[in-house]
Amino acid sequence: MSAVWAAAKAAIRRRRLQTFVIGLVALFCTATVVVSLALLDAMSAPFDRALAQQRGAHAVAAFDPAKVTGAQLTAARDGVEAAAGPFGQVMFEPDGGSGPVLRGPVTLVGRPGPGGDVDRLDLWRGRWASAPGEVVLNAPPEDETNFAMGPFSRIPSLTADGTTLTVVGWAFSVGGSADGWVTPEQMTALRPTGTQMLYRFSGDVSTREAVQQRLTGVTTGLPGGALIAAQPYQVVKEEAAEGSGVYLPFLGTFGVLGLIIAVIIVANVVSGAVISGFRHIGMLKALGFTPRQVVAVYLTMVTVPATVGAILGTALGDLGARPLLEDTFRGMGFGQDTGVPAWVWAAGLVGIPMLVLLTALVPASRAHRLSAAEAISAGSAPRRGHGLRVQRALGGTRLPRSVSLGLGHLFARPARTALTMASLLLGVTTVTFATGLSDTLIRYSALDAAAGGDVSIRPEPPDGPTGVTSSRTDKEVEALLRGLPGTERIGIALSRPVSVLGQSEPVHVNFIRGDVAAMGYEDQLLEGRWTAAPDEMVATSELLNKRGLEVGDTITMELQGVRTTVTLVGETLQNLPGPGDGLFAPWREFDDMEPSDYFYQVDLAEGTDLEAYMRAIRAADPGLSPWSRGGTSELQVIVTGFSSVLAVLLATVAALGVLNTVALNVLDRRRDLGMLKSIGMTPRQVITMLVTSMAALGVAGGLLGIPFGVAAHRLVVPLSAGAAKVTLPDSVLRVWDPVQLALLVLSGVLIAVVGALLPARSAARLTIARVLHNE
Amino acid sequence: MTPLSVVRSVPGMTTETVVRLDGVRKEFGETAALDGVSLEIRRGEAVAVMGPSGCGKSTLLNMVAGLDRPTAGEVTVHGERLDRMNETGLALFRRHHLGMIFQFFNLLDDLSALDNVALAAQLTGSSAAAARRRALELFDELGIAGRRDVYPAALSGGERQRVAVARALMNRPALLLADEPTGALDSRAGEQVMDLLIDLNQIGQTLLIVTHDERLAHRCASRLVELADGRIARESALDRV
Repeated sequence: MSAVWAAAKAAIRRRRLQTFVIGLVALFCTATVVVSLALLDAMSAPFDRALAQQRGAHAVAAFDPAKVTGAQLTAARDGVEAAAGPFGQVMFEPDGGSGPVLRGPVTLVGRPGPGGDVDRLDLWRGRWASAPGEVVLNAPPEDETNFAMGPFSRIPSLTADGTTLTVVGWAFSVGGSADGWVTPEQMTALRPTGTQMLYRFSGDVSTREAVQQRLTGVTTGLPGGALIAAQPYQVVKEEAAEGSGVYLPFLGTFGVLGLIIAVIIVANVVSGAVISGFRHIGMLKALGFTPRQVVAVYLTMVTVPATVGAILGTALGDLGARPLLEDTFRGMGFGQDTGVPAWVWAAGLVGIPMLVLLTALVPASRAHRLSAAEAISAGSAPRRGHGLRVQRALGGTRLPRSVSLGLGHLFARPARTALTMASLLLGVTTVTFATGLSDTLIRYSALDAAAGGDVSIRPEPPDGPTGVTSSRTDKEVEALLRGLPGTERIGIALSRPVSVLGQSEPVHVNFIRGDVAAMGYEDQLLEGRWTAAPDEMVATSELLNKRGLEVGDTITMELQGVRTTVTLVGETLQNLPGPGDGLFAPWREFDDMEPSDYFYQVDLAEGTDLEAYMRAIRAADPGLSPWSRGGTSELQVIVTGFSSVLAVLLATVAALGVLNTVALNVLDRRRDLGMLKSIGMTPRQVITMLVTSMAALGVAGGLLGIPFGVAAHRLVVPLSAGAAKVTLPDSVLRVWDPVQLALLVLSGVLIAVVGALLPARSAARLTIARVLHNE
Repeated sequence: MTPLSVVRSVPGMTTETVVRLDGVRKEFGETAALDGVSLEIRRGEAVAVMGPSGCGKSTLLNMVAGLDRPTAGEVTVHGERLDRMNETGLALFRRHHLGMIFQFFNLLDDLSALDNVALAAQLTGSSAAAARRRALELFDELGIAGRRDVYPAALSGGERQRVAVARALMNRPALLLADEPTGALDSRAGEQVMDLLIDLNQIGQTLLIVTHDERLAHRCASRLVELADGRIARESALDRV
């Protein structure tokens, strides 16, 4: 083994450039793969782990106590592995004082303790409610310091319909079964409006549909209309994974592209090393190395730099993934584990070197088969085939000879040319995909900006940064804005969280009046129509996807204490700025609104000076805070940034592949280059010859890579959008025009030229005297 | 004997100096491969350089061909100071004024014999058709017209060297440099190449031949320069055998 190691070490020293290229390729590819895998793991594993640990409910169901009794619910166990309940349930709007944590409707459940067969709560602070007047609130665990500094510590109590409940503890339900828990006795006193059952099912529960099917099995024997609503665990899981889900499809694509490029370049580098090392192989065999030892030398030669690259790449990927994971899963309470898991580290550290090893096996086996004599005399046999005919045809063209010679080189080693072109093709695919992604986001932003007016205005809240509040009523503010010169259209919105029967999370409804529909929101309708009656609403794609709703569905809300059934008549692209998921509803007056709850959007007449208009608003009423719309969304910045960085990384890897090919070609053709220089080929002609061949490959790679990039874009972008609960109109996916396509072909040429330039320049400076005088 | 009319039509030996080396020194690390060599070669002369291995023969040839630069001293060829030229200048100079033949021919394997020869003219900007026409004339003159479409690997050693000579003569060089031109040939092919060099010199082609082969030197050269330890040990006029 020591002889193998010594020979491999010598080979590594002799082929510094190839070693460097293999290491760098492994590093870049490993980093990309680690980031992608870490996100993939983060998207599912922490939630699933926590849900399993807590025996979280597969479905949280609310039943109407007027239609079904607790005994009936307890008896219904078809397909149920374990159940908890019946628990009394009530939804209420907390009175002031509970701060930002409990804004909107709160679901309280009467439950005797945190344990049980289902939904074993993590009581992480304080104790369980043991007497009337006590409540335990649901929140992800916090350490002592964060708890003291955060908003939870400022909620000593909450008031529900006139009853003050003292917060005695904090617990966390991974499945989000309630916002708070009281004793069953206290719940009785609160007059429950629903009965909660928590189910864990046997059999398949992997999809929403599967859970729904199981639930149907349970409720089949119950009275009709008993089930008010049910929430499968996937709703909470998808919300938790929403952030990373957006990034995953395109990161996965980059990861796969990186892996393929790595395989191709490694195959190219290793086969090049074997071919250019024929004489070396012959010498090793002549010295007494067995075929296996020769293969071992070549495998060691590539595995060592690949392993070093993989170690550094894994560390780099970990560093890159960590902030993304922390950002996505911060404070969600799923074990607070935002590190890159061990299996991803193992995949990076072992997987990539193994991949390199397997890729290297094919060309290395050629070294195994060659006899010593064949290896030593390799290259002396006459060449045959298309390459010679092409070279002859090119020699007769009007092209400068350095150009035609360069083009002819492509046909001398077809396998090397094919591998190099494949890496260029994938490089262009990556660039095409990344530019398409970025363009789609820009178009989406433009579409986004088409609605919502030029200026947004909100009255300052009493605790706002300026301390100045407006004394005007909502109607007076509208009148003021309508009276300002330049105002063309005004939309007014009031956003309120509203309880929806059957949904544990409230829905933010935008009650609108004025010109909201005409300000671009109606133009963004993807399906259905705008509202025409008080019981109609339009929902954003995000809301529909998130809540599993469709246009035409009816939902029951609690509006001002009255159950109201509304129909969803349209799906639109974009919500109003502000919190919530986006439901547009006809205007309603509410008694309890503050001036700062109203939101105004103004479309300006053409030619109006935006800055002057905003100054005029501030001058007319310092309590109004205007701002112009625009800017770039965070998602756009992140996705564009990520895709640009990864595209540059992979284009660099592709360029490294070209560099390696040209370096091998120069090594193979040292004697030819020396001869050409001896008969008067200038350094510039040498560079032209070597760069031309790669530039031609760049054109071919560009032309072939673009369709792949376009296909990846058409497949992946809708997947990402789906993860973000956004439906993309087709117009934002049609991003390429002929000029862009031509530029993309040029990107292939650029990658090729950049990769070829360095070894070509070194070839131009080649000292030819020794090459020519010695065989 | 082939008249070689298309090769060049220059007067016989004149007093015009084609090569002048003046105090040329070349060091590789601490070793001096050439140590103060001064030499003149006149137009139409055929000079052979001989000496034991490592004496500096090839280094001297590299200096004259502009393939390497002296550590000290001046190298003037065809009136141009090569030691002052940059790489591009040297390449252009070689293209127009020098022809070189090597022991191992140095033909491009993936070009036919004809295209190997035409290449030298195409690099100067000649059209492919014009270059091939000129190459064909040389093939005829050198007696290898029937091998024009053959690739180097299928040519005999003598044929390869003739192709190499044709390539060297393509741009009508002022000086033909030959580095062990018969070193890789059997005796019959060697004789043919020697005859060719004699013919070329007889029509006025200036030759500088580096060789170990005394027979080649005595048959082809009119002057012998013997090197030892990087210095000129002896110069002598030769009567061609």
